[in-house]
Amino acid sequence: MKFSFSWLCDHLETNKSPNQIGEILTNIGLELETLSNYSSYSQFVVATIKEFKKHPNADRLNICKVDDGDKLYQVVCGAPNVKEGMKGIFAKDGMYIPGTDIILKKGKIRGEVSEGMLLSERELKLSDDHEGIIELKKDFSNGTDAVTALELNDPVFEIGLTPNRGDCLGVRGLARDLAAKGAGALKPLDYEKLDNLEFESPISWNIEKDGNSCSYVISRYFKNISNSKSPDWLQNKLISIGLRPINALVDITNFITIDIGRPLHVFDADKIDSLLNMRKANDGEKINALDKKEYQLDSTVTVIADKNNPLAIAGIMGGSETGCTDTTKNVFLEVALFDPSQVAKTGRKLGINSDARYRFERGLDKEMIEEGLEYASYLINKICGGSVSKNTSAGKLDKNTYVIDYNFNYFEKVIGLQLSSEVQIKILKSLLFKINKITDKSCIVEVPSWRNDVLQPIDLVEEIIRIQGYENIEIKSPYATHEEKEKVTSSLNNKKFSVTKKIKKTLISNNFSEVISFSFQSEQAHNLLKGDSSLKISNAISDEHAYMRSSLLFNHLEIIEANRKKGFKNLSVFELGPVYNDSKSQENILFGLTSIQKYNNKHYPINKFDFFSLSELISKIINSLNFDMKNFNIDRSQSILFHPGQSAELRMGKKLIARYGKIHPVILENFPKLSNTFGLEFFYENLPIETMYKKKLNKTHDSSFQFSEKDFSFIFEKNQNLFEVHRMLTGIDKKLIQNVEFFDDYNSSEIGDDFKSVTFKITIQSDEKTLTEEDLENVHQNIIEKISQKFNAKLRS
Amino acid sequence: MDNQKVLQDVTKEIELASSQEELQIVKVTYLGKKGRITELLKSLKDLSLDEKKSKGAEINLLREKVQALFEVKLKDLKILDINSKLNTEFLDITFPPPEVSAAKVHPISKTFDDVVSIFGSMGYAIAEGPDIETDFFNFSALNIPEDHPAREMQDTFYIADKDEKGKPLVLRTHTSPVQIRTMLNQKPPIKIIAPGRTYRCDSDSTHSPMFHQVEGLFINENANMGDLKGTLIEFCKQFFEVQDLKVRFRPSYFPFTEPSAEMDIAYEIIDNKLQIGKGDKWLEILGCGMVNPVVLENCKLDTSKFQGFAFGMGLDRITMLKHGLTDIRSFFNGNLNWLAKHGFSLGEY
Repeated sequence: MKFSFSWLCDHLETNKSPNQIGEILTNIGLELETLSNYSSYSQFVVATIKEFKKHPNADRLNICKVDDGDKLYQVVCGAPNVKEGMKGIFAKDGMYIPGTDIILKKGKIRGEVSEGMLLSERELKLSDDHEGIIELKKDFSNGTDAVTALELNDPVFEIGLTPNRGDCLGVRGLARDLAAKGAGALKPLDYEKLDNLEFESPISWNIEKDGNSCSYVISRYFKNISNSKSPDWLQNKLISIGLRPINALVDITNFITIDIGRPLHVFDADKIDSLLNMRKANDGEKINALDKKEYQLDSTVTVIADKNNPLAIAGIMGGSETGCTDTTKNVFLEVALFDPSQVAKTGRKLGINSDARYRFERGLDKEMIEEGLEYASYLINKICGGSVSKNTSAGKLDKNTYVIDYNFNYFEKVIGLQLSSEVQIKILKSLLFKINKITDKSCIVEVPSWRNDVLQPIDLVEEIIRIQGYENIEIKSPYATHEEKEKVTSSLNNKKFSVTKKIKKTLISNNFSEVISFSFQSEQAHNLLKGDSSLKISNAISDEHAYMRSSLLFNHLEIIEANRKKGFKNLSVFELGPVYNDSKSQENILFGLTSIQKYNNKHYPINKFDFFSLSELISKIINSLNFDMKNFNIDRSQSILFHPGQSAELRMGKKLIARYGKIHPVILENFPKLSNTFGLEFFYENLPIETMYKKKLNKTHDSSFQFSEKDFSFIFEKNQNLFEVHRMLTGIDKKLIQNVEFFDDYNSSEIGDDFKSVTFKITIQSDEKTLTEEDLENVHQNIIEKISQKFNAKLRS
Repeated sequence: MDNQKVLQDVTKEIELASSQEELQIVKVTYLGKKGRITELLKSLKDLSLDEKKSKGAEINLLREKVQALFEVKLKDLKILDINSKLNTEFLDITFPPPEVSAAKVHPISKTFDDVVSIFGSMGYAIAEGPDIETDFFNFSALNIPEDHPAREMQDTFYIADKDEKGKPLVLRTHTSPVQIRTMLNQKPPIKIIAPGRTYRCDSDSTHSPMFHQVEGLFINENANMGDLKGTLIEFCKQFFEVQDLKVRFRPSYFPFTEPSAEMDIAYEIIDNKLQIGKGDKWLEILGCGMVNPVVLENCKLDTSKFQGFAFGMGLDRITMLKHGLTDIRSFFNGNLNWLAKHGFSLGEY
């Protein structure tokens, strides 16, 4: 919402400065976004185009001789509206152009010298208009500064209004709130009711009972008017906030929209039938709107129509064929009430953002409908002359007022601040709420018609504190009760959080960097990974982000590839984040990826990494979380992400805890430089996090008696799971077998293709005594027997 | 033979030995089977018993002395050998190591950690909710009805799939749906924070289609706006590490809180650097307010008994402000050079 200081002063008698007004607006919830200051524009000056000719090398450009009162400049200009004798605003070499954010440089354009620039409104950031250069209407002498010539000495406010404050979409509403805060006094609206309404309107209304958005409409007919340019005061007001004056009738409706926040519409009465109808549009009906676009309508849209055609999209935009032009003689003014949510729906559907829609969908003051009619009639009659008809209307205006039972104690309970009932009442009254049936404890509050956002007692509390000032709310020290602290420590989510922190630390210390990537993936990745079809985003920002990701793999491959191209050496990354199985199920996982690049450094072979390094990393993570690898099972992974022969999955019971391995070569087809890449997915949410916190640390073994080590080589069937062998070995004699370490394996034709030879070292030690040869021999025999039997294995001699 | 002469000779020869091999030869010469001292002992056999005793004792004493001399010399020679071997083992210790930057923690991670720990000390436990939300949790339960202009405050991503009610699923536009999920699942008192990913279809240097928020919710019988102010001021003091923090609360509007406020903190630019805490310019930090009774009712809570406050802030934004970062997009593009510069090492995490 934009308005100038002088415009505000039409409604508010105030001794505050523009800066003070801006601050007060923010403090009462009407946030000031910008307060313009055009003083730097005084460097730009009025100049006259003395002569112009076509540019010899460019059809659209002209070469102008421009007089700034000092001397003549040659200016190459592309604007279509240049003409001889025209006065515009001129910028010289070295000046900063705010609208384009550049400093103007003298130079040649297509071979012709250009020594400056004639400016458009957009280049001066006055509006978005860039159809031509500014043409000054009045006769200022050359060299007059632009602030004077464009009347920019009136500061312009722009405020960001929250959607609940439809009442402040007119300057008058803002003035009303400012007056309540004590920033001045509200002036009466400056118009007189017309008393010479002589004739019946030849055009009348009907509202169909088809559920359309109109509940009430009122109109007047204006006969024999003349619609030329509006007076200077009106033009200047519109220009001050970046609107372009068009003709008196259009300017008046625009003015009233901004001034009191009341959109209304004027039809050229000679272009419409004698009966207007509010109705739902027929499917397939079309309208050419004032924005010069054609819209396809359907039965959700409410239109204003005559016998044949829709003339306007109700509450949103008029049609181009029935609008008022310079030649309009008779006018039909429409002021109506439309349902906010229907207007919103239609506006969104058709993609039209108009001043009218913006106001209707935020809810308008229903009592302002008559004020709008009177105010507009007065201005039309005063500016355009002619005679005015009696009212013609349809529908019913609901004049009931909204009341709220209000208890004065409620304020302190919510705000934590004591405020007497007198002060509370005073503030509500200043906002023009009516207070009835006041007792010690309560009152009945009548809400003004423009505040349709105030519905419950809490809204009154907000009104009171808003005007009293948030700075007066007492600051209370935060606290945590014993019970609350207990809840934090026992919260599963907090425990999960510290688990993730531990995993992160392990990865960081193994030189994986933490990245965060979007939760999306490309269609290509989605298809390759066979993601669930329910994960498609309807309004994705690009094809690259068309689906919710089913894996982090492609995000991380892209990241690694991009960093590789920049010559980054350590290509190991990880991320903690969600993957989506389908639209209703999300898992938070940890994903890591490392790519091994050729790296020749005799003394610093930093890039050594293979499947077993990854396996070791998994084991480090597991240990850091106080779990023992013995509690898990390892098997080949079936995941399509990985090389089938160089990947594994780790489970605890049936729960999948991790998948890891070399990335499948097919997936890496598009990343030829990343052929040696390893990934891991860690499903930490599947860990029994509660029990992990209860468990005490594993007792560490510590004995000073002599220990013995013995190596065993067995021949197993080729697909024997060694993890199971390992678990069995550690369980054979828990008192004496202290450690089992697998350290070698090999295949050979001698053993046969279906077998493998595996060697492990057993450490035997007692807590109680030095073991004898016989003791040791017993353990050895036990191992040989159990392993041979259980796994159908043979000891190699 | 004279014992004294033997001692003199052997001492001299040991001294002259320059390697373990030479020393061994000397040792054999004196202590070997036919060595001079061994011969002396052998010569005793022809003597009388008394002479055997006295002479034998003398020769044994000599032998012990000589053995000790050998041991001392042997130790010296071994150390000499080790030292001379070291000379062959010299590496070029100036060979420069490659420049490999240490892995870092993402700045957002650090912020998550700070937020969880600061609010944790105030009794706020972590709560969670899914990224793909239903219309009910993301909008209608939060008092944002369909067709309400408030929906246009947020540019929503829609998922093609529908919820049970046939409404399109959305990517949550804020962490506020976790408020609803928590209130429907827990009895007051409720004191939670919900950090997580959020989504809006918007992209420029300060907006990213994915970003992070943290939601806070405190519901009991009397939590009021004074508590809200105190809590948020304390958070900002600790997070920005500024004890003397100038802040302002100003009225705003969120459909799910009433009264609503936005909190700004003061800042100034000194030497092109943003200094937080004082000055006369304001930075918007977060939105907050008292939970709207309509929302409590939507969550089946008795509004005559319970009340409380909620707040939400952008974690990326406070991270950028705290560490002077300017482009939110760099958070999510995986640029490891950026991370090496702006990330946190293990010690700082």
